[in-house]
Amino acid sequence: MPTSSTPSHRMLVRLLVAAQLLYVLGVAGAGYATTAYGQHIALATSPVDLHSLQYESFVRLRYTVGEAPLTAWRGPTPPQRRQSVYVLLNAGADSLATVAGIYDAAPRPAAGQAVLRGWVTDVFPRTLGLRYNLERYYVPGDSPLRLGKTSPAVRVQVSIAPWGQARIESVRLLRPTAAR
Amino acid sequence: MSRKFLETESPAWVADGLITAEQQQRLLARYPPDAVQAVGLLPLLGSILLLLSALSVVAANWQSLPTQVRLGLLLATLAATYAGGEYFLKRGNRRVGHGLIGLGLVVFGVSIILTSQLYQLVGYDVSGLLAWVVVGVLLSYIYESQTLVLLPIVIGAAVQTYCTQALGLFSYATMGLVALGSGYRWWRRPDTIVASVLAVGLLWQAALWVALSHAKITWFFIPAMLVYAAGDWHRERPASRALQGPPLVAAYLFALGLALFGETDQYAGLLRPPVLAYLGALAAVFGLSVAGKRQRGRLASLPDWLLLLPGFYLPGGLPLAIATLVVLYAHAGSVLARAHRSGEAEQLTLGTVLFVVATMVAYFKLTWAFLDKSLFFLIGGVLLLSMSWYLRRRNAQRLAAGVAIGAASPTPPPTSDQRPTA
Repeated sequence: MPTSSTPSHRMLVRLLVAAQLLYVLGVAGAGYATTAYGQHIALATSPVDLHSLQYESFVRLRYTVGEAPLTAWRGPTPPQRRQSVYVLLNAGADSLATVAGIYDAAPRPAAGQAVLRGWVTDVFPRTLGLRYNLERYYVPGDSPLRLGKTSPAVRVQVSIAPWGQARIESVRLLRPTAAR
Repeated sequence: MSRKFLETESPAWVADGLITAEQQQRLLARYPPDAVQAVGLLPLLGSILLLLSALSVVAANWQSLPTQVRLGLLLATLAATYAGGEYFLKRGNRRVGHGLIGLGLVVFGVSIILTSQLYQLVGYDVSGLLAWVVVGVLLSYIYESQTLVLLPIVIGAAVQTYCTQALGLFSYATMGLVALGSGYRWWRRPDTIVASVLAVGLLWQAALWVALSHAKITWFFIPAMLVYAAGDWHRERPASRALQGPPLVAAYLFALGLALFGETDQYAGLLRPPVLAYLGALAAVFGLSVAGKRQRGRLASLPDWLLLLPGFYLPGGLPLAIATLVVLYAHAGSVLARAHRSGEAEQLTLGTVLFVVATMVAYFKLTWAFLDKSLFFLIGGVLLLSMSWYLRRRNAQRLAAGVAIGAASPTPPPTSDQRPTA
């Protein structure tokens, strides 16, 4: 172990700190790259409860694709809670995505389809509850949601990177007048 | 030595003729009162308050700041913390220096999380946070600091918890990094606190693995006893004892639970993994442990393994509960016997406590159902009182004999192998 005065130690520390700075920059770069190279889909939500904004900087989004009929399940064994799944979405050019099927291994999407990864939260008799880890939306200071008094439904633009990351690009009100 | 202790005790030393009055004055002069140090805390408190105010300003306006500014703030904080740590280390202030380096490591993890949050980015594996553990382990090798060895163990446990709970998968890389990276760091520079935290951290990850894979909970004891066996191979006794403490506590609590609830076959049924696979794995770990004990000459601690006897394969019911009680008694007895040989006070206390606990469980199991309740408590109380009297008397005799031997011979009796924990 080098002691704290030798040049090799100082070099090592500098390299390690530089690597950490680059890594954080890399995470930011992955954010931009996901938008630039990813597939874009639009998801609708049910009305968003804005009360949490008084205490926290995020709201909880409940996607319409967060619940799917059990008939959409395409796995060989029945779905289990907390299982990781691949959700095949039918995504039109500008229309909102709908669930085409839920798989336990990555399916091949046809043209106009996209695959979003998620987890099973609940197995009900007829439906499945799904989580995409995109539920928590940190509301920027200039978002129209910050001005809203009622609970608007929103349209969430999501991009899915080919290397398996996803991000919320933007959030718009589904019906622009609903927020006022 | 504390100044206060010197001030109150030294007049008696002068009176008894141990030291002269002049020597007393010289001793007092050697340890000046530390009033100055309290004043020295003021700048520290002041800077903490300033830091808190800056932090709250940033936190309040975080969402309104432009993305690039937020990213810049994170990077600047990260670099500044490490630079500050190096600066203090160069000036010879090791505590503050290592503290700041540790803070830098925490800031690194926070930066990863906040940057993902900044871009509303989600990943589907642990790779993002794995870098945090990697950097933590590397830092623990670069610096000579206990804090920096403990941090990656704690961070590893936190990352694993997030991974299993939010992503539904177990990160073997995180487990491996903590077990091998932090483990080897401890192996080279043993330390009792690090050993205990390391063992607890690894057991935590093993428990998460069992919970996630829906395996029978008894599988937990394979990794747990691997940690124990690693302790057997370590050359330094105190450090290896500290490492073996948490697995033994877990095994003891498990045996106690089996004695208390083993009667219902439903509970015992939850514990039965496939016989051959489980016993094979356990035997392999046992062999490893025995080989280590033989190598280091610690075969006296072999009865620890009594707690791991797979009694849950017996049909549930009273026989299982009684068999477990017999094992608990045998274990307590082995601890007591070892303590009597070595004459260590702590060991004697521990053995006594284990013996009393086993007796109470046995009494509770065997008589609760058919004794009148007032009689139950009366007999239980008398039993405990008489046992405490007897054990205390024995211990006192034993310790007195040990002191007599120690006083007679110029060197203290060789402390053979003992174990602190159950």
